Amino acid sequence: MNLLAIGVRRVARTLLLLLVVAAGATALVRFAPGFLSDEREMDAKYAQGVRSEMQTEGTRDQSVGSIVVREVRGWMKGDLGESRQFEVPVTELIAPRIKVSVLLLARGILFGWLLAICTAFPASVMRRGRQLWDLPFTLLLASPTAAMATICILADAGGPVLVLTLLIAARDFKFLSRVLREAWNSAHLLQGRAQGLGLAALTRLHILPNVAQRLRALATLSIVTALAALIPIEVIFNVPGFGQLAWSAVMNRDLPVLVAVSLLMAGVVALASMISTGAETLEAA
Amino acid sequence: MKKLASYGVLLLIVVAATLVLRLTPIDYAAQDRDSTLAPSTAQHWTGTDELGRDRTVRVAAALLIGLAGATIAAVITTSIAAGFGLIAAFSHSAVADVLMFISDVFLSLPWLFLLMMARAMLPLTASPVQTAILTFLCLAALGWPACARVIYRGSVALRSSEWLIHGRACGLKTSQLIRLHLLPHLRPLLLPQFLICIPVFIVAEANLGSLGLGIGEPLPSWGAMLLELDNSALLAQSHWMYLPIALLVIVLFLLESLTSEEQNHA
Repeated sequence: MNLLAIGVRRVARTLLLLLVVAAGATALVRFAPGFLSDEREMDAKYAQGVRSEMQTEGTRDQSVGSIVVREVRGWMKGDLGESRQFEVPVTELIAPRIKVSVLLLARGILFGWLLAICTAFPASVMRRGRQLWDLPFTLLLASPTAAMATICILADAGGPVLVLTLLIAARDFKFLSRVLREAWNSAHLLQGRAQGLGLAALTRLHILPNVAQRLRALATLSIVTALAALIPIEVIFNVPGFGQLAWSAVMNRDLPVLVAVSLLMAGVVALASMISTGAETLEAA
Repeated sequence: MKKLASYGVLLLIVVAATLVLRLTPIDYAAQDRDSTLAPSTAQHWTGTDELGRDRTVRVAAALLIGLAGATIAAVITTSIAAGFGLIAAFSHSAVADVLMFISDVFLSLPWLFLLMMARAMLPLTASPVQTAILTFLCLAALGWPACARVIYRGSVALRSSEWLIHGRACGLKTSQLIRLHLLPHLRPLLLPQFLICIPVFIVAEANLGSLGLGIGEPLPSWGAMLLELDNSALLAQSHWMYLPIALLVIVLFLLESLTSEEQNHA
């Protein structure tokens, strides 16, 4: 199969995946208990007859068919529909929050990777005391994100970037140190070391080409980890970002926002995964 | 040696928690409104919470509920993953493609977001026990895709092994091949996957609880105890409020160490 066909197939698969995610999110929210309830029904000023009428109208308005039509219309219009809780177009809610979250994600992933690489490299060549070196990262892995965030607030030190950095570093360190250790102890590297190649040359010529594929997979995994951690971090630190919006949409059964958030998250993960596997295919070709 | 020590300490903690629940006459939900946020006393070893409930009993119950729930959920999720992976590996390639696509759909959304979405869409006004069951069932139902992919790859690698071809040539049925030959060979993959799930599920329950979607009160849970830490005014009154988080980190640390050991052996 040529490269173009592989590319087309991957894109088609990703689009299908996004469609299934959107359909899944819609079904999940539509059939959730309490989705059809209207807060006006609790208002005593409305007579019983009016309340029944509201209920009937709400049920008719929220049938799967009308939801899909409304969603598609919103997407065609470009505003992604209207938020159920805030009563504003979804794009107006998402646009300012994306900037906040992307900045937080970029900083967290960058610092996390730097910390993981700087600590995993010595750990991979270490002969003794490796377990002691691993200890802080195992401790970090054993700490729930929400707990880390709460402790930061209580200690009045650090913030969302620190928590995200530590979380990414802990996950990546474990993987990186194992991958680098395997590479460092491989036969061809031992030979290179015996021939007197310097560390910089060894890294550039032997280690990096060998671990590049796994590093790309790790990069995708880092994005997924960071996206998941974004929700408790933004909720606990009260950061007006994408994660906080996702949490609020879930809690309030805000379908248009939830579909947009799900699609964006799935899109980011699928894109990262496509770039990672695409690079592999190109290398193989 | 390290593995044995981790298992030993974990067992010791579980036995201690069980003894606390067995020997203490106080119920985890019993409120003593006259001694709210009480310090350490002979009656309440680690004091009481803001509703006057014994903290030692609640922490012990949370530990056992969390561990038991996560272990059961891990058994379910590993079984689903094993079934899914094996079916995909031993079916027609079209079936395998569909099954792997389904796992990709689950993996395309960040785990906590997916979990939060699924949990929030289930009844929130259920009884505490029902919320606990729902929470752990959610974890079990959504935790299998990554594990299934690992088992699928492992099974595909074993599919063309000589002993399997020999078994098939001897007339063994697929079910017999799986039970007698494949599953024992997949054990080094299944055990670490099962062990990985336990701390992941405990952390997920704690994170869900801190977002208000975990186990309902008055049933004690790690998530609810993390929520207690939000009130810094109360923290200044009693440092025993840090006990649950400290114990949670110790338990998770032991589980992480065990998982790493098993992965290294595999």
